[in-house]
Amino acid sequence: MASRKESGTATSAVMASTSGTLDSPVKQIQIEGLVVLKIIKHYQEEGQGSEVVQGVLLGLVVEDRLEITNCFPFPQHTEDDADFDEVQYQMEMMRSLRHVNIDHLHVGWYQSTYYGSFVSRALLDSQFSYQHAIEESVVLIYDPIKTAQGSLSLKAYRLTPKLMEICKEKDFTPEALKKANIGFEHMFEEVPIIIKNSHLINVLMWDLEDKSTVADKHELLNLSSSNHLEKSLQLLMDRVDDMSQDIVKYNTYSRNLSKQQQQKHQYLQRRTQENAQRQSRGEPPLPEEDISKMFKPPQPPPRMDTLLIAGQINNYCQNVKEFTSQNLGKLFMAEALQGHN
Amino acid sequence: MSRFFATGSDSESEESSSADELTPKAPGGNFKQSLLISDDEEDTKRVVRSAKDKRFEELTNLIKTIRNAMKIRDMAKCLEEFEQLCRAFLKSKTIVDKEGVPAFYIRLLADLEDYLNQLWEDKEGKKKMNKNNAKALSTLRQKIRKYNRDYETEVAAYKENPQESADEEEEKEAGGSGSSSDSEGEAGEDGVSAKAFLKKKPEAAPEASKFLKTAGVRGHPLRDDDDDDDDEDWGSDTVDSGSESSDEGEGKSSLAVVFLKKTQEGEKSGEKRVSKKKKPKKKERLEEEAEEEGGEEVEGGWEKVKGGAPMVKEKPKMFAKGTEINVPVVVKKLNEILQARGKKGTDRAAQIELLHSLATIAGENNLGQGILVKIKFNIIASLYDYNPNLAAFMKPDMWKKCLDCIDELLDILFEHNNIFIGENIAEDNESLAISDQPFRVRGCILTLVERMDEEFTKIMQNTDPHSQEYVDNLKDEGHVCGIIDRLLDYMETKGSTEEICRIYLRRIMHTYYKFDYKAHRRSLGLQGETKSEQDQEESEGEDSAVIMDRLCKFIYAKDRTDRIRTCAILCHIYHHALHSRWYQARDLMLMSHLQDNIQHADPPVQILYNRTMVQLGICAFRQGMIKDAHNALLDIQSSGRAKELLGQGLLMRNMQERNAEQEKIEKRRQVPFHMHINLELLECVYLVSAMLLEIPYMAAHEFDARRRMISKQFHHQLRVGERQPLLGPPESMREHVVAASKAMKMGDWRTCHSFIINEKMNSKVWDLFPETQRVREMLVRKIQEESLRTYLFTYSSVYDSISMGTLSEMFELEIPTVHSIISKMIINEELMASLDQPTQTVVMHRTEPTSLQNMALQLAEKLGSLVENNERVFDLKQGVYGGYFNRDQKGGYQQNKSYNRDQKGGYQQNKGGYNRGGYRNQNHQSNY
Repeated sequence: MASRKESGTATSAVMASTSGTLDSPVKQIQIEGLVVLKIIKHYQEEGQGSEVVQGVLLGLVVEDRLEITNCFPFPQHTEDDADFDEVQYQMEMMRSLRHVNIDHLHVGWYQSTYYGSFVSRALLDSQFSYQHAIEESVVLIYDPIKTAQGSLSLKAYRLTPKLMEICKEKDFTPEALKKANIGFEHMFEEVPIIIKNSHLINVLMWDLEDKSTVADKHELLNLSSSNHLEKSLQLLMDRVDDMSQDIVKYNTYSRNLSKQQQQKHQYLQRRTQENAQRQSRGEPPLPEEDISKMFKPPQPPPRMDTLLIAGQINNYCQNVKEFTSQNLGKLFMAEALQGHN
Repeated sequence: MSRFFATGSDSESEESSSADELTPKAPGGNFKQSLLISDDEEDTKRVVRSAKDKRFEELTNLIKTIRNAMKIRDMAKCLEEFEQLCRAFLKSKTIVDKEGVPAFYIRLLADLEDYLNQLWEDKEGKKKMNKNNAKALSTLRQKIRKYNRDYETEVAAYKENPQESADEEEEKEAGGSGSSSDSEGEAGEDGVSAKAFLKKKPEAAPEASKFLKTAGVRGHPLRDDDDDDDDEDWGSDTVDSGSESSDEGEGKSSLAVVFLKKTQEGEKSGEKRVSKKKKPKKKERLEEEAEEEGGEEVEGGWEKVKGGAPMVKEKPKMFAKGTEINVPVVVKKLNEILQARGKKGTDRAAQIELLHSLATIAGENNLGQGILVKIKFNIIASLYDYNPNLAAFMKPDMWKKCLDCIDELLDILFEHNNIFIGENIAEDNESLAISDQPFRVRGCILTLVERMDEEFTKIMQNTDPHSQEYVDNLKDEGHVCGIIDRLLDYMETKGSTEEICRIYLRRIMHTYYKFDYKAHRRSLGLQGETKSEQDQEESEGEDSAVIMDRLCKFIYAKDRTDRIRTCAILCHIYHHALHSRWYQARDLMLMSHLQDNIQHADPPVQILYNRTMVQLGICAFRQGMIKDAHNALLDIQSSGRAKELLGQGLLMRNMQERNAEQEKIEKRRQVPFHMHINLELLECVYLVSAMLLEIPYMAAHEFDARRRMISKQFHHQLRVGERQPLLGPPESMREHVVAASKAMKMGDWRTCHSFIINEKMNSKVWDLFPETQRVREMLVRKIQEESLRTYLFTYSSVYDSISMGTLSEMFELEIPTVHSIISKMIINEELMASLDQPTQTVVMHRTEPTSLQNMALQLAEKLGSLVENNERVFDLKQGVYGGYFNRDQKGGYQQNKSYNRDQKGGYQQNKGGYNRGGYRNQNHQSNY
């Protein structure tokens, strides 16, 4: 277990976001082992299949490092108790934790994911509201499936300041996005994670590792890949379909727009011609009409969803790439072993 | 509807028009005369009368009616008539101004007032009166009091000396009206009529009142039934026609009275008995009777009546005594009767009665068959006419009468070879009299029989199919067929080709849907025995197939109207299909090219087409041609309106789509119950065919993203089955099929078999086939084969190799069959495998893409389209359409795609066999 965690830490540290986070208040996240275990436990108990579990992260900021020391889950609430007040529950929970002298500062939230599909509007909105309220808050994404395959997958994300700007303005038109010069790559920034345990726990783990058998580590060497890949591809395909639709929509829009532009242009030309004629005849020019009223521009399709889809596709691709490269390595290893025998 | 009018009515209209020619005295169709005036008076006096006479005649008529009403104390009628009288009097104002108020008018006013006062006093009587009458009485009393104020002096003078003043007036009037010598007599007569009426009142009273009572009785229920305004219409009508016709007809009518009376007399005795049973007569008849009665009084000719022998009793109905009954007379009489046809007030039952008696008379006087045939024609026509609207069907007794009549007519026609009948024989070219020449009679027996057939259909449509009545009615089918057969024989010798075609079609229509059990049994029997040529020939005589063949081929060769040929072809196909002659049926269907243009046909033909298509599909199924069966049934079943498309019932729809009128039309189109095709059988056949096609197909294309559905309906049923939260054992036919499909999907043919063929399904579906056992065997075999295919598709990836012996054991098929099925699959590139001959095994190649590969391919395809879309956006920005895309990439993608299409188009190409019969599609467009 310990080794796994270590390796997870290592990978996430390696895969630290490339995008410069100089202006970000948080450059590193330090998570207590307890929090990780609690999140895993939460999913194990409540999440099944594609169902998603969420919870609140608690901790505090130390310089440019965010330390997450504790967490608690959001209760899974059903349709019956519609009057359940989440905010109330959070407040109560935090107050109670405070009473037992646990860090009670709200520093973000966590969410499980299904084959890496988490880039959605809902996540964006809630992370925006978090980051809006608490500047240094993060969202931890826990991928139980990857974890089950042998490598802990826990990632921390924050919205980039650019995206924050856009979200603040709530202007998702193509022009606004263009002006902000934002692409799917610049929407989220990943913050490196370090899992930190107390020395006592480290000692315990060293102890445990000696006792653990080889059989416990088999998942990591599992060669079968098709199932996971199929699922990923399936999801990827769905997103591609969505993307296609969006593009078609955008296409129609831009065609309509250009058509109208043309009409408008023609109209204006005619008007100027007429005015010129009138002027030559000494008549007063025609009154200026509100052209924008005559040619109402078509409603531009919101582009944020497309961006999100692109982000999601990117995410899937990364996942698949990662997965296949690992698998390829494993396969070569297996081949080499076979050759030896 | 239009069909009926097109065929059935032209005879009617022609007859009536020709009748007009023959009776020139009836412009505007004076029904009084046409119905009752005998012809021997016709060429007597034709009098030109003055306006005055006309008016006065009108008035006297009205007065007579009032007096009659007075006698029976019918105040309502009195009031009505009085109002009319006032109106009429106002109309003749100018004349009255010139001539002075006529005496008879004053007399009436005075009498009426007296009468009313008397009634008014009679408290007892008033109490007994019904409400209507009492009300009328009070109104009338007030009215007449007011009215009489204008004529006070005259009325007073009259009251003082009724007789004298009347005479005086009479004299004066007679003197004054010397405008024409002819009319003088007329006027005198008029006067006399009124006077005589008064004078003779006591004498005539017993008889007249007796008669009037009956008349009153007859009149009453009528007025209760019909609306009052209707009556009024009639009243004014009589006035009008009276005034019109009196120009020329007055003299006649007065002379006709002689005849009228006798007719009346005869009718009175004859009809009194009948009248209770018959429908209430129309009012105008009553009026006539009243009028006649008046006329009788004028002549005082009661003594002329000599009732006596039964024959005489019949005879005077039509003809005056002593008239020589010969052909022209009878024809004229017939025309008279016919003229009343179709008129509003004509009593149809009485008309039929009249025609019958005319026929008897003609028969008794040996006027020859020609006239008899003519009368028969008319009797049948009026029998058809009996029901005023098209929707109503004939009553059983009428129907019986009609059948008998047609039978008799045919008897006559068969017995006498020298009668020519035809629609195109003009009325004046008819030769009805006995002479050396053959009879020529106008009329079309074919139309009559066709109409009879339609009536039969209508009766069947309107009978509850689950009642004994239906069975009873159905027994008449034999009779109808008999008549058609007889007519067919007749037509074959006499008729033109078109007529033969028409009667052939009728015959075909009665044959095509019946399964020929005799022939079926014979063919079964023959198969066991030696098939000697003679046996075959012997049996051929009665085979419906042979008959159908003969009749249809004649029509194909000779018919010139498209409709009859189309119907004949469809019936022929249907008949073939019904008797499992699949190849003939299919070839005929394909040769006829009906699929292409059936949507232009009229709805009944389209229904027939749909029926044929369904029968064809069921036939294909019986023969094991699953694909053909599926294709044939697809259109009917996929619409979900099989019931409607086959004309076997109406679907519940909201009124927006169909108003009451349309519904009536659609109802008329329904196929009678005994011709129905079992809908459950139809659906089951369709679903089982779909299952046998779809399950292997689904197994073969499991990973194909663009997989097409062969049958939407089948998929729908599957989905419905899946949606069920709790799966119990199947109950309905559909559930059975769904359960069987699921079993088949797993390659479990035994379970599938047990779901498709079991007690329940046998009783519901399979036993309905004539060759049940054969069909079941075929089905088992198909299930085994298709299950094998499904199994191979589904599990081939699991095997490296599989022995055919094992497969043949698993599916209980012989090894050669297994071999052939697998070979076929390999050839069609459905199964990537090869056969190892020495070991009898199938070796899988494992070249099919795995699911992951499939997925990747799909993704690539999707990405391709994504890129394409993206390029479009780019192009738009650039303002160039298909910039670099056209050059290389697009070509590449397209190649890709066409490759895909090749793979998938396979089924579709095979599919186009049958087209859709768009009965309903067209339905909405056409406005009937």
